[in-house]
Amino acid sequence: MVPQQTYQALHTSYLEKVKLRSDRLMNYFLGSFFVCGLSLAFFYDTWLVAIGIGSLSLIAYYSTKWLLPHSDAYQYMVSIVFGIFMAQFIYQMHGLFEMHFIAFVGSAILITYQNWKLQIPLAALVIVHHASFGYLQYIGYDKIYFTQLDYMTLQTFIIHGILATVIFFICGLWAYQMKMLSERQIRQTFEMGRFQEEQLQRQALLQSNEELKKSNKELDSFVYSVSHDLRAPLSSMLGVIGICEMGDPGPFMEKNISLLKTSIKKLDGFIMDILDYSRNARLEVEKQEIHFDDLVTEITNNLKFMGADDQRKVDIRTNVRNGIAFYSDKSRLSIILNNLISNSIRYQNPEAAEPFVEVRVEVSETSASILIRDNGIGIDKENQGKVFNMFYRVSTKSLGSGLGLYIVKEAVEKLNGVIQLESETGKGTHFNIRLPNFAHSPLITT
Amino acid sequence: MEYKYKNVMVVDDNQIDLYIAEMVMMTTRFAEKVICVSSAKEALAYLKPLYEAPEELPKLIFLDINMPEMTGFDFLNEYERLPENVRKQCIIMMLTTSLDENDRKQAEGNQFVKRFLNKPLDRDKIAELM
Repeated sequence: MVPQQTYQALHTSYLEKVKLRSDRLMNYFLGSFFVCGLSLAFFYDTWLVAIGIGSLSLIAYYSTKWLLPHSDAYQYMVSIVFGIFMAQFIYQMHGLFEMHFIAFVGSAILITYQNWKLQIPLAALVIVHHASFGYLQYIGYDKIYFTQLDYMTLQTFIIHGILATVIFFICGLWAYQMKMLSERQIRQTFEMGRFQEEQLQRQALLQSNEELKKSNKELDSFVYSVSHDLRAPLSSMLGVIGICEMGDPGPFMEKNISLLKTSIKKLDGFIMDILDYSRNARLEVEKQEIHFDDLVTEITNNLKFMGADDQRKVDIRTNVRNGIAFYSDKSRLSIILNNLISNSIRYQNPEAAEPFVEVRVEVSETSASILIRDNGIGIDKENQGKVFNMFYRVSTKSLGSGLGLYIVKEAVEKLNGVIQLESETGKGTHFNIRLPNFAHSPLITT
Repeated sequence: MEYKYKNVMVVDDNQIDLYIAEMVMMTTRFAEKVICVSSAKEALAYLKPLYEAPEELPKLIFLDINMPEMTGFDFLNEYERLPENVRKQCIIMMLTTSLDENDRKQAEGNQFVKRFLNKPLDRDKIAELM
């Protein structure tokens, strides 16, 4: 991509173009003025003046330009040179009145530089020339040739002066306005360039975003297929084991079958954890209305057949207070609740009178507070800091993959929420989750 | 003890799962006869000659989703075009390992599908259907 041109650079290059174009024009104008002087020399045989003054003027201009190429002094020199040519031509034509127009021609040419100040040296020179030569002729000096009149009345002189001032003023004004127009054009060009560049960047961003979405989607469906293909044989195995149990296996086989079942369920749980992890990490957060009652019922239904054979049924109590609509991402919320509730079932306390897990939800305009409380075996203090770590398992008796709580934490974070753990060994565990209500807030994907 | 259903059909490309379904249904006396077919095409072919004998149609069809050639959903699309007396006779249950929420939604959104069950089929699940 083209790096963005700075405003300063654009400004400089634009003004540089104006200068170069004007400089080129000056070469033609100054050359023409010199040739003009030569042709005027035919009238009154003023060759010395035409060649002498004309060459001196050109030398003055080009030497200034050559010596100070980076300053605009040579432009002021052009202004002076125009004044001198005017005086020269008036002299060469012995005061022919129309030669005074040369000052106006010069003034008009100078507009091209878009600098009103260039009018000043020309105007000053014209004033000095008119005042001194007019006066000299008036007091009777010969061969001044300021005017063909015997002398200029004061009235004529004043009108002449006023008209000249008006011309210089107007030319200065146009120069100034052209300058302003240029500035505006530079700004517009700059804004346009920037706009186009932003547009391009946005397009590129959109495109890469699309590609990312596509590859995420592909990966998601890949993970799905793989997990399905891995789980299908496991479920067949469980099915066959179920059939074996239907016969009368006897205590020895029963024990072996139960071990097989535990292993298969563990592997199955692990595959599902990986699927959850991948989905949580890759999929975008979606905003849906959450019906906690339905969600918990759905999860408990799926967990119905969970738990080892020697474990008791865990009483799942739901207490949802949600008069207010709550919006969040259903699949992530389901991952969170599913993991926590199944942990409560898995790690129930055999000594507790009646094992239970309570899911209490309170919804407000801004957030939902979810409390999951059980009377299970609990987690001892020193392990509480580590249970959210990836692949961390509290003890060798742990049945899971060590991913469950890690995924819970990841999912809570994806939903911009927080999770807290309170637990006491032998008494039970509390998980406190606070999730923002996306009802009114836009989604912030992390 | 009476059988719950006379005819039940199971559509699954996996032979072991067919065997499991058959065994579970027989031993629980869920079905007197379990018709096992290993593809959706075969299932349609089986149903066709029974248009004139609706009493011989399976009362329940357990349908897998992930199958080669014709998926469970493809079967449902074809099923929609069967004569009304056939559709009236049969209740369809999805029986799958799929965890895809979209599969579940699509299945539950289908008018002919009554339940969405996760494999494996076992006594507890059958007990629930009884």
